[in-house]
Amino acid sequence: MEFGWNEDEVRYRDRIRKVLDESLPSDWNEIATHGPGSKPQTEFSKSFCKILAKEGMLIPHWPSAFGGEDGKPWDHFILGEEIWAAGEPRGPQYMNVNWIGPVMMRYATPEQQNRYLPDIVAGNVIWCQGFSEPSAGSDLASLQTRAEKVDGGYVVNGAKVWTSYAGLADHCFLLARTGAGKSGIVILLVPMTSKGIQVKEIDALIGEGDIHELFFDDVFVPEENRLGAEGQAWEIISYALQNERIGIPRYAFARRILNRAIAKLKADGRFDDPVIKDRAGRVLAKCEAARMMVYRVVDERAKGAPPSAFGNLARFSVVQADHAVSDFMLEYMPEGMLGDDPMQQAHHQRAIAAGIASGAAEIQLNLAARRFLDLPSE
Amino acid sequence: MNFEPDDNQAAILDGLEQLITAQKIEPPKHPTFVAFSETLDAELAASGFLDIAREEGFSPLDAALIVERIARLPLCAEVAASALIGPLFPIDALQRPVAVLRGSPLGAARFLPQARSLVVVEDENVSLISVTPDRVVPVESLFAYPYGRLASVEGLAVQRFSRDMVAAVLRRWRLSMAVEAAGLMQAALDTVLEHVKTRKQFGRALGSFQAVQHRLATAASTTNATKWLALRAAWSDEEADCAMAATYAQDAIPLFTYDLHQFCGAMGLTLEFPLHLWTYRLKALLGELGGSGGQARAAADLTWADAA
Repeated sequence: MEFGWNEDEVRYRDRIRKVLDESLPSDWNEIATHGPGSKPQTEFSKSFCKILAKEGMLIPHWPSAFGGEDGKPWDHFILGEEIWAAGEPRGPQYMNVNWIGPVMMRYATPEQQNRYLPDIVAGNVIWCQGFSEPSAGSDLASLQTRAEKVDGGYVVNGAKVWTSYAGLADHCFLLARTGAGKSGIVILLVPMTSKGIQVKEIDALIGEGDIHELFFDDVFVPEENRLGAEGQAWEIISYALQNERIGIPRYAFARRILNRAIAKLKADGRFDDPVIKDRAGRVLAKCEAARMMVYRVVDERAKGAPPSAFGNLARFSVVQADHAVSDFMLEYMPEGMLGDDPMQQAHHQRAIAAGIASGAAEIQLNLAARRFLDLPSE
Repeated sequence: MNFEPDDNQAAILDGLEQLITAQKIEPPKHPTFVAFSETLDAELAASGFLDIAREEGFSPLDAALIVERIARLPLCAEVAASALIGPLFPIDALQRPVAVLRGSPLGAARFLPQARSLVVVEDENVSLISVTPDRVVPVESLFAYPYGRLASVEGLAVQRFSRDMVAAVLRRWRLSMAVEAAGLMQAALDTVLEHVKTRKQFGRALGSFQAVQHRLATAASTTNATKWLALRAAWSDEEADCAMAATYAQDAIPLFTYDLHQFCGAMGLTLEFPLHLWTYRLKALLGELGGSGGQARAAADLTWADAA
């Protein structure tokens, strides 16, 4: 066992930090207080991701055949840690590089790969994820949006909700139903400029521009925009969600925010309060526990092991850590939520979604109970 | 980063498994609060496993793996202090089994009825007291460790160690608590999982109810987080990491032990059912070194000493 970084990994992390220091503008903290799906962050991401691409830091983990550098899984994760800890300047494009691109590399036709991947590689395209519906949230397989087979493609009718980044997205990674059950789901790659799509932003606690309703009214999608075969969608979604679940190193941002909070408490002479110090120590332990749980999953991946239910446990510990940091600051530094520290509010807005997005925390526990603990189903 | 045992560690764990198998260890046949095994304790000492952190080419992490594995057994032996705190002292200065106390040497300590050495951590120094069982008054308790206290220290040989040893012993004590807690949690969880898979109520296995599943999955997350945080601390052997690992473990113990007993109902309150052999060791660890608050404050101080 070995829980440290080798020299190459340390150098890589240092290089990322240098690039971030040099390329993030002085008003980045202000931009970052807007949600990743907001107009300021989305627009910023398009210029910033170009810099990352030039530095070889946008898709280094991708195979060289697709423009990447055949990077190691640990390097990819170090990159994610540093960028998320900086407030995720990739904005919505983290999704492109973490799972939309990898899913296409595995399941898309060569023509689709040629059509979609270059824009992701260049860092100037926004995708949204058309998964959840008014009656299909955690129970994703119960989705009802219809994709009716017609000559040359599909006609889509239905509604999606909680769709992140939809307001400024170029494409939607859409799940729709052609028949019954999981085998009756199809994945369509839909241009957001398609006739019949209406996007409505939802005012929310988690920041402007982050979640939307999407309405599909007789939207025609050509057959060549279907990803994978009919009946293969659930396999593809499962693969995508495995990438998504621990894709965001939330504990890294939480730990950074906690460090900032402690520095402020010290400066204000409040850190010697034993109650505050006690709580800070417990929250710190939760952050580091989440880090180790996630590292354990990355270690599995780095060794080429198939995804295991340990990822569900890790995700749960990450949610606990994110909430613990947020609650600590709400209790002892409420002034941060009253205008003193926009970054604190930005973290809070991300933390309250941590246990809901990409599979609710309770779904993680369900999966862990069955797959990790081998408990019987009802 | 590598979460798998290396060749040396795999060999250590294989050897340990052979020793355990040869011992034919089973839960005690008669109801008991404490299941201390003199045989297991002696075998572990004779095999050299407990001195591994003193050997060249081996580390506290190797010792921690041994502590975690032995903690999963229903029988207990004095392992953690010997394997992790003992190597801080000159080999000829300390005899095992080892008991550890903070503050007064007259407090009740785990394994003191068997101990030959008592380590007492004070604010300014560390005392190493040579003890014999005839000087120890056994203390009966619900805790599943043997406890005892010295009637007095008069006439006992005492060696004093400098202030540097205070931080070192506290570091390894915290580490040993965290690693041992990880093993105890795993064994307790395994015991309860077996129970809820076989025990039926309302026509279904208890473990099929979502209310039970979620809490057991949470317990599994806690167990694994305790383990990996503790093993990282063993690897780095740094004060802040050890304090963090102990904080996490002690912070988690109350809810963890409550839930596990809850799912075993009244059976979990009997001595016939072996759950207490792990949970009442966890509850004993909960109160050591000032409890979770003591460790949390230490972790905060050590981690953010230079924060400004």
